[in-house]
Amino acid sequence: TLKRPEDYRLVGTPQPRIDIPAKLAGELAFVHDMRLPGMLHGRVIRPPYAGADHGDFIGNTLEAMDESSIAHIPGIRAVVVIRDFVGVVAEREEHAEQAMRELRVTWKPWPGMPDLAGAGKVADAIRANPATTRTLVDEGDVETALQGEGTLRRTYLWPYQLHASIGPSCAVAQWEPEDGGDGAGDGRDGAADAAQATARNGRVRLRCWAGTQNPHVLRADLARLLALQDVDVDVVRLEAAGCYGRNGADDVAADAALLARAVDAPVRVQLSREQEHLWEPKGTAQLMDVAGALSPDGGIAAYDFQTSYPSNGAPTLALLLTRTVEPLAQAYEMGDRTARPPYAYDHLRVQVHDMAPIVRASWLRGVSALPNSFAHESFIDELATAAGVDPVQFRLRHLPDERARELIEATAQKAGWRWRTGPQEDAHGDHPSRPPQSRVGPGGDIRSAAGPLPRRNAAPSGGSEPHEVGERGGDIVFGQGFAYARYIHSKWPGFGAAWAAWVADVEVNRRTGEVHVRRVVVGHDAGLTVNPAGVAHQVHGNVIQTTSRALKEEVRFAPAPQPVDVGKAPVPVKAPLPGMPPAGVVATREWGSYPILHFREVPVIEVLQMPRPGESPLGAGESASVPGTAAIANAIFDATGVRLREPPFTPEKVLAALSSLPPPLGEGGGGGQFTTPSPDQAPQPPSQPSPSGGRSQTLAPRRKGWPALIAGLLVGGLGTIAGLLGWRPAIAPVSFSAPAYSAQTIERGRQLAAAGDCAVCHTADGGLPNAGGRAMHTPFGTIHTTNLTPDAETGLGRWSFTAFQRAMREGISRDGRHLYPAFPYTAFAKTSDDDLQALYAYFMSLPPVQAGAREDGGPAVMPPNDLRFPFNLRPLMAGWNGLFHDPTPYQPVAGQSAEWNRGAYLVNGLGHCAACHSPRNALGAEKAGTDFLAGAMIDGWEAPALTARTTNAVPWDEGSLYAYLRHGHSPRHGIAGGPMAEVVHGLQQLPDADVRAMATYLASFNPPPAADPQALATQAVQRAAAGQGALLGAAQRMFESACAACHHDGDGPTLLGANVPLALNSQLTSTRPDNLIRTILDGVRTPPTRDVGFMPAFREALDDAQIAELAGYMRARFAPQAPAWADLPAQVARVRAAPGHGAPAAQGAPASTPAAV
Amino acid sequence: MIASLPALALTVNGQPFAGEVPRQASLLHLLRNDLGLNGPKYGCGLGQCGACTVHVDGIAARACVIPAHGVAGRCITTLEGLGRRGHFHPVQQAFEEAQAAQCGYCLNGMVMQAAALLAREPQADEARIRSELSGNLCRCGTHVEILRAVSLAAARLGAAEAPEAPR
Repeated sequence: TLKRPEDYRLVGTPQPRIDIPAKLAGELAFVHDMRLPGMLHGRVIRPPYAGADHGDFIGNTLEAMDESSIAHIPGIRAVVVIRDFVGVVAEREEHAEQAMRELRVTWKPWPGMPDLAGAGKVADAIRANPATTRTLVDEGDVETALQGEGTLRRTYLWPYQLHASIGPSCAVAQWEPEDGGDGAGDGRDGAADAAQATARNGRVRLRCWAGTQNPHVLRADLARLLALQDVDVDVVRLEAAGCYGRNGADDVAADAALLARAVDAPVRVQLSREQEHLWEPKGTAQLMDVAGALSPDGGIAAYDFQTSYPSNGAPTLALLLTRTVEPLAQAYEMGDRTARPPYAYDHLRVQVHDMAPIVRASWLRGVSALPNSFAHESFIDELATAAGVDPVQFRLRHLPDERARELIEATAQKAGWRWRTGPQEDAHGDHPSRPPQSRVGPGGDIRSAAGPLPRRNAAPSGGSEPHEVGERGGDIVFGQGFAYARYIHSKWPGFGAAWAAWVADVEVNRRTGEVHVRRVVVGHDAGLTVNPAGVAHQVHGNVIQTTSRALKEEVRFAPAPQPVDVGKAPVPVKAPLPGMPPAGVVATREWGSYPILHFREVPVIEVLQMPRPGESPLGAGESASVPGTAAIANAIFDATGVRLREPPFTPEKVLAALSSLPPPLGEGGGGGQFTTPSPDQAPQPPSQPSPSGGRSQTLAPRRKGWPALIAGLLVGGLGTIAGLLGWRPAIAPVSFSAPAYSAQTIERGRQLAAAGDCAVCHTADGGLPNAGGRAMHTPFGTIHTTNLTPDAETGLGRWSFTAFQRAMREGISRDGRHLYPAFPYTAFAKTSDDDLQALYAYFMSLPPVQAGAREDGGPAVMPPNDLRFPFNLRPLMAGWNGLFHDPTPYQPVAGQSAEWNRGAYLVNGLGHCAACHSPRNALGAEKAGTDFLAGAMIDGWEAPALTARTTNAVPWDEGSLYAYLRHGHSPRHGIAGGPMAEVVHGLQQLPDADVRAMATYLASFNPPPAADPQALATQAVQRAAAGQGALLGAAQRMFESACAACHHDGDGPTLLGANVPLALNSQLTSTRPDNLIRTILDGVRTPPTRDVGFMPAFREALDDAQIAELAGYMRARFAPQAPAWADLPAQVARVRAAPGHGAPAAQGAPASTPAAV
Repeated sequence: MIASLPALALTVNGQPFAGEVPRQASLLHLLRNDLGLNGPKYGCGLGQCGACTVHVDGIAARACVIPAHGVAGRCITTLEGLGRRGHFHPVQQAFEEAQAAQCGYCLNGMVMQAAALLAREPQADEARIRSELSGNLCRCGTHVEILRAVSLAAARLGAAEAPEAPR
C-alpha cells in the first residue's frame, strides 16, 4: 500500500538539487565538456536554405566544393561531402572553424522559400498552406448562434520563435574499429558500408554522446543514416543547454557520426551560434480565428475556435541533406493542445487545421497550447469587457471546474486584484483615494461579489484625476491583467498537467510604446508537490521565458531582395551577395536580432502553490507558461485600452495600436499620438582651419594651382621621355654581411621604424614582419609593399646607405626606378641624415627573409602590382615629383618651441601623418593649406580630420591627442581602430617626450582648448542619452543585445577594455559611415594597446540590412546633431565587398555562399 | 601536421602556461582545448551572452572574442580557479545555497561576472547587480534565483568589508 500523505517526511519539503555543485565547480556535466583521447574537431557547412525542411532542392543543391580553398589551413583531417551535407574535421578547433568559414562551396539556384518578411506575410502563408480540418468539438449549433449582430470575430497570430539555447548544440561520436582493423568507412558512401555493417557480433559500432531529448528516436535516426541496426548504435545522453523542446541536439549528433566515420578518431562537432539560430527547428507560428457572442442574459452564447498549426516533424537534418529520407511536407496532429477552452458555452465548435510545416519546426514549451490559450484568454477578456463584468468575475461565472475556481480566487486574492469593467480605470496606479472595498486581496474577498459589479465609469487620464505622480510625468500608465489555463497535452483529447493562473502588472509608456512587466503573481496547482522548491523554480523560469516570448521574441526572415542603388542607376540583384541572404530564409543569426529578456527587465514574481497533498502529482514544467501571454496582453489593454493580438508586444506595435485610438479626453489630443522628435537638423557651423597664425602653411607641402598642375603634366611628359632614356642611374649594389653599426644606433633605428610605422604597411596578413607583400588599395590601382629585410635578392640586402637615403628622400629605388608616393617619401624626405642612418642600420640588422615570406612557413606570396594607365608608367613620377615633392630635410621653424618643432619633425617626417589624414588631389598628391590633416579615405578607412575640421563632439587638444597616441584611446574621444591601431601600437616604442611633442604640434591645428572639455563631453553624452527613449524599435533592441554590454554610458557591466561613450567617437559623428561599418563587420582583433580590449567581427552574423539598421540607429542615437547617413544598405554592401585593412582575404568570403555559415 | 606556431605564455589559475598556439585560437579555445577547462562555455562567439566569461587580471572578459595571443603575459582566472568543491568562492557558495541554476550552462558567466563585480563593489545593491549582469543571458529564466544568490554573496562580502558601525 502507498504511504499516507500525512506520513511523508521528505515529499512536500524543499530539497536541494544534486547536480549544481559540479556545475559550479566546472566539472564534467555537459556534452560540450565531453573529451576523448585523440578527439578531433568537426564543423559543418550548411546549405543556403536555412529553415527549409521539404522540397526537392533539399539534398540537391550543392554545385561544387573546392578543397584547395582550405589547403593552407594546417591539421585538416577530412572534408566530407554527401549531397548537401558538408563538413570538415581538423586537429584543432580554431582550424576547423577557419575551414568552415573559408571552404569554398557553391550552391545551385534553388526555388526559394515563401516570403515571410513584413506585416501579414506569416498569416498569409499559413492561410495559403494546404490543411486538413479536424473537428474536435461540435456542440450545439455554432453557425446559427453566431449570426447575430453582437458577434465578435478576432484573429490571433503567434510568431515563429526560437528555442534559443544559450549553448549551441554539440555532440561527440566515435566509431569502434571492426575486428580485423579496418574500422571506419571513407565517409563518402553511406550505402557501401551497409553490407559489412550488418555482420557483427553484438558489438556497438557507433557510440554517440548527445544532448538529445529523445535518445531512442535519435538512435533509430543514426542507424538509418549510417545503414546500421539499432543495436549497433549506443547513444549516451549527457546534459545540454536548456532548450525547452527540440533544438539542434539531434542534428549535431548525426553530423558528428558522419564526420567521425571519415577519420579514425572520435570527433566533437560544435554548431556555431549562427547555425543554431538558423537551423534549429523553430517553435512554429500559429493562427487562431475566434468568433463568439454573449447571450442576452450575460452568458456566453457561442464560441467558435479555429486553429491552424504548421506542424513540426523536423526530420534530423543530416537525413534530409544526405537524402537518406525524402524531404516531404508532412503534417502532424499537434495543433490541438488545450484547443478546447475551459469555459461553458451554449454552443461550442473547435476545429484544428493540420498542416505541413512552412519553416522547419519542432515542439517548443507549451506546444500549441500556449498560442491556443493566448487566443482563448484574450477573447474571454474581450467578452467580459463587452458584458461590463470584471474579467475575473466573468471567468468564475462560466468556469465549471471547481479546482480551477479555487485557484483563480486564491490567485486574485494574493495579487490584490482590483475589480474593473473596462480599461484605464487604474491606469494611474493604485490611488490612496480608492476605497479599499474595491480591491480584492488583504482588504476584500472576491467571493463576496455575488452579482454583477456596478459598472463604474471609466476614469481615464486627465480630467480631475490626478496625473501619475513622480518624475515620469503622464507617460506611464499601469494595468493589471489576468489569465488562466490548464495545460492539456499529448494526443487529443489529451491529459491535463498543472493548472495555472497569472495576474500580471504592467506599465506602458504611452509616448514610446514600451511595456514593462513589473510583477507577476502565479497561482499553480500541480497536485501533490514532491519538491516545492523545484516547482517554484520551474514557475519562475516559465514566467521569465514567457514574458520574454510575449514582449520580445520573433524570428525574422530575409525579405525579397530590393534593387540596390549603387551610385546612380538602380541595379537589380541577380546573384545572392554575401550580405544578402536569399529571400524567405531565416535571417535571425545571433542575439541582437533575437533579443531575449535580460536582467533589467525581470519582473517580481510571486508564486502561490495550492496545497494538494492527496492528489496525483502533475507535470509542472510547462503549465505556468500557458496563460502568460494573454495575461500580459490583457494588462496592456487594461492600461491603454488597446488589444494586442500578435505577440511580441514590441514598442512599435504598441505605438501603432495607440495611435489608431482616438486621443484620450482632456489631454489636448496628444495622448495617443506619437511623433518622433526631429533631431536638431541645423548644420554645424563650419569648422575653421587652424587659427594659430599660418603655422600649418609653414610646414604643409607647397600648394600649387591648376596652371602648375598642367605645367607639371607637361613636365611629366618630358619625364616620360627622360625616363625612357634611363635618366636616373642605378646605384651599384653592395654586399656586406656585418654592417658596422653600434647597438645604440640600431636601437634608435628600431624606435624610428616604429615611429614611421614601417612594419604596418610592409607586413602582409599572415606574413613575416617587414617582409612586404601587403596590398595597398589606392585610387590608381593596387600596389604591394616591398621587403625591408636585408635579403639580397628581394629586400634591401644590396642597398648601400646612399641608395636607401635616395629612396627615402627622392622616392627612387636603388635600380633607378621611381617609387610611388604610396610609399610616403614625400614625408620621409624631412628626416635627418642621422635618423636615416639609424633606420638603415636597423633594417640591416634584421634577419633576411624572402619578400612576402609567410609566418606559418608557407611559400612566399608576392603578387604583382596592378595600376591603371597612366599610373603604371613609373617615369611619369618624375614630373609628379617636380610638382609635388620637396626633398629638403625639415628645417625648424623660428619662434616655435623646441617641443613643437620636434613634433612637427616627427609628424611630417617619419610619422607621415598627412599621408593618411590629408586629402589628396586628382594626381594623388596630399593637399595642403586648410586641407592639411583635414581627413581622407585610406585603405578602406576614413582617417578623420585632426584639425578644427574634426566632427568629434569635443575638439582635439594636447591632452587628448597625447592620451590617444600613447594609450590608443582618450576619455573624450574614441578608440584607435583600423590602421590607426597599428600606428599607435608602433608608437609604443617611442619615448614619452616624442609622443608629447607630436601631440603639441597636432594640437596647434585646433582651436585653443575649451575651458572645461570634460563638460563638453558630458554634454554630448547627455544629449545622446536624452533622445534615447524616442528611438525604439528592432534596431534599438539589436544594439542593446549585440553591443550594449561593452558600449554603455557607465550603467552596464564592466568588461575588459576601454569603454569610451559612443557619443564621443568620430565613427558616429563623421559624415561617412565607413569606419563604423568596417568596425561592425570586422571587429577589433589587434587592439593598439592592452587597455583597449577586443571586439568580435559581425561579418558572418549580421546581414547588410541588419548592419544598416544598426548603423542608422547608432547614428541617430549617438550623433543626434548630425544628419542621417544616406543609402545605408548600399553603403554596407559596398564596404563589405571592398577590400581594406582588417577585411578578410577575398577567398574567405566567396560571394556564392551567403548563408554558408 | 601543424608547422611551427607562435609561442605564447600566460598565467591561468595561478599556473604558468607556455606553448605554441595558432594565431586564430581564441582564449576560450585555449582554455577549453589546450588546458582542458570546462568552466568557460562557448555560447555565441560574439560576446553577447557571457557564457564564456573569465577574468583577465581580475576584470571580467569574454574569452570567446579574445585572441589567445591578445592576452599574452596576463593572468587569467576561470571558474575552476575561483574555487573548487569544498573550497568554493563566496559567490559560488551563494549560488549553491540559492540553487541558482536550471540547466546551468550560463552559470559560469553569471558567477564570474558577479565575482568580478563584488571584488570591486562588495556592497553592490540589486539595481547594480542587475545592470552588471545585463549582458549575461539565461534561457531558463533563473534570473530570480541568480539575483538572490548574488545579493546573498554581496551581503556577506559587504558585511566583511563594511567599516564598523558607529556606536
